[in-house]
Amino acid sequence: MKLIGKMTILLCGILLIVFANKFPEFGDPHSPASTHLSPYYIEHTMADTAVPNMVTSVLADYRGYDTMFETTVILTAGLACFFLLRLPEEEEKEIYFRHVPTGVTIRIEECGAAPEDSDVFQRIDAQWVPRDIIIRSTSRLLMPFIQIFALYVVAHGHHSPGGGFQGGVILGAAVILFAISHNLRTTVAKISETSAAIMSAAGVFIYAGTGALCVMLGENFLNYGALAPLLGTDRVMARSHGILIVEIGVALAVMSVMIWIYYNLSSAGKQDEGL
Amino acid sequence: MVNTLPALVIIVPLLAALMVAAAGFIDKRACFPVAVAALSVSFLGAAALLVQVVNTGLAIEYRFAGWAAPMGIVYVIDHLSALVLVVITAVSLVNLVSSKQTIHREFADKEGAFISLYVLFTAGLIGMTATGDAFNLYVLLEIASLSGYALIGLGKARAPLATLNYLFLGTIGATFYLLGVGYLYIATGSLNMADLAAILPGMKDSGIVLFAFIIMLSGLFVKMALFPVHGWLPGAYSQSSSAAAGLIAPLTTKVTVYIMVRICLNLFSVDYTFHQLNVSDFLVWVAIATIVFGSLSALAQTDYKKMLTYIIIAEVGYMVGGFFLGNRMGMSGAILHIVNDAVMTLCLFMAAGIFLWKTGSEERGDLKGLFGSMPFTMAGFVLAGLSIIGVPPTCGFFSKWYLVSGGIAAGQYAFVAALLFSSLVNAVLFFRLFEISYFEPFIDHHHGSDDGGGHGGAGAVIQEAPMAMLVPFLFVSIMLLVLGIYSGRIVTNIIHFAIPAGVI
Repeated sequence: MKLIGKMTILLCGILLIVFANKFPEFGDPHSPASTHLSPYYIEHTMADTAVPNMVTSVLADYRGYDTMFETTVILTAGLACFFLLRLPEEEEKEIYFRHVPTGVTIRIEECGAAPEDSDVFQRIDAQWVPRDIIIRSTSRLLMPFIQIFALYVVAHGHHSPGGGFQGGVILGAAVILFAISHNLRTTVAKISETSAAIMSAAGVFIYAGTGALCVMLGENFLNYGALAPLLGTDRVMARSHGILIVEIGVALAVMSVMIWIYYNLSSAGKQDEGL
Repeated sequence: MVNTLPALVIIVPLLAALMVAAAGFIDKRACFPVAVAALSVSFLGAAALLVQVVNTGLAIEYRFAGWAAPMGIVYVIDHLSALVLVVITAVSLVNLVSSKQTIHREFADKEGAFISLYVLFTAGLIGMTATGDAFNLYVLLEIASLSGYALIGLGKARAPLATLNYLFLGTIGATFYLLGVGYLYIATGSLNMADLAAILPGMKDSGIVLFAFIIMLSGLFVKMALFPVHGWLPGAYSQSSSAAAGLIAPLTTKVTVYIMVRICLNLFSVDYTFHQLNVSDFLVWVAIATIVFGSLSALAQTDYKKMLTYIIIAEVGYMVGGFFLGNRMGMSGAILHIVNDAVMTLCLFMAAGIFLWKTGSEERGDLKGLFGSMPFTMAGFVLAGLSIIGVPPTCGFFSKWYLVSGGIAAGQYAFVAALLFSSLVNAVLFFRLFEISYFEPFIDHHHGSDDGGGHGGAGAVIQEAPMAMLVPFLFVSIMLLVLGIYSGRIVTNIIHFAIPAGVI
């Protein structure tokens, strides 16, 4: 059985290589891929959408419908992780707290009363790792810069490589950095799972809702030109602005899904201390 | 005025899925009504599209973002896709309505996520069916696959393992399809199906196109569980929860068969598929192997749901074989069977859900005495069984009739023999179930019978399934008869126009 498997893989590999030989030369300007549709995009992008970055205009306008579903795929991944991994919160028998000023760890057994929510006592788990002031301070220092760079990437997708997906990932990475350098409980206290989930859905909703708004204004789905009266510009600029709106939706969705998936993956669905 | 129906059919479920995902964290009670409303709108839209297409006889095109093909993405609703859209939305809606209680019971805290994934899965299938763009099809395939893995993953004890297996194979299948699209793009520079269909006849002898055809079809075969790449299906479907199985089992394989039909007929043209390449005989033999293997394996099962999964594999063989017979009869039979098999499988899996609810088990032996305690459910179950066997006037008979006639016309007697063999095996399987459930006394595991067998025998008390499960189930089983009675009309008014005029 194993032998058959290996033979099949070998056969597929040989076929792939043989047929790859028949491809046009790499970078050949006369290959069908460069002569059929690409010239249209290259010549008309500016006139159609006022977006200098052709990749962005193809991604978010000409084929914006695909991109909407790519964003939905990301949301689906977040939902799937939640659905499969999340465990119900159960009453633990022993709870550990740390007295922050002294660093003393206290254990509270089943019948004992836990301390009130305060800055003095901090909830920790059994596998607690001591805090490292250098890592924590550096991460905190870096976070605003990472986030500002992410916003730049989102906003600058029209002119340079970038856009909602990339910016969203960087925004999410900032929060994950915080979670790694501090701990998951602190992060969840700042951005709860509920808000991460709702923001994920809201991000995709901004995208699909923009499309639906165009339908309500009597044009085709995602035809941003229909938004011109609302945005107070002409139809071409409205396309450019429409792309920005959906990029913001994508960034929101990608960021929140990254955070949401991290919450569930890093704690195996328990959302306690995490990594 | 633009006809927005093709967009509404998919956008309404998509927006609803997003709202349900959020509502799952705010107010769970809102999830179910929103999903049912959205799927109802989608179903009505699909039905309206079918009526429009049949009345005008023309395909409806919808341009997303207002760009014409091949620059932008278009949806093309013709006879074939409209028919499949109606089936998808109807199956999804009926199954959701009937599983309200099981969803609530099995996924208490995750109800919102389940319903959201459920609606996303449906939206993915709708998009795959309606789209006129080869790459857009892949994106929606991703949505349907990903949500499908999640839906199946939470079930019985071995569900995660079975799903992981499914995920590996399903991803390979989807990747093969994507690779094929990539090859086609290299060869032609286009992704739009109609545009590709116009370019491809000019490059019949291109090796890249040949390989694209092979690899796309291989990917789809994995996705539809054709023998010998069927390994993922029995485990994945039999381990899943009733609500998920009732959605995914009837639809996934059928929609994949639809895509195969679409690609062979409308992308690579009949001429290329059946005349240029000499693959149809080989594929009919693969289909025969699938039918025989599926039927024999079904015979070996004692678990009711597992038996059904092998029957699904055999049915995939019916459709693939029928299509590659290459004549009008066979193709009509294959397409009609997409519709009929979706409804039959839905009916059988809904029955499995009711049995599980009633007896707490899916073992064949535990069906004892159910005729006494659930006469209505069992009446519906008998109809479904007869339809799978192929007894007139249920719908299963008519599609089999077309397939058999097509097989005879094409001179593929082995295919005809395999079909008859499989029908006989199905008869054995289902009459054995009828016998167990009719003659043997009911044993109530579920409610703990310690009153000395008072439930058993002729004096069994009627304890039907709850109305919310029973009514949709009976509706579906009556649909089996209705579809059977109207199958002639479906073929002459809809399927006839779905097959290119060149096919005799």
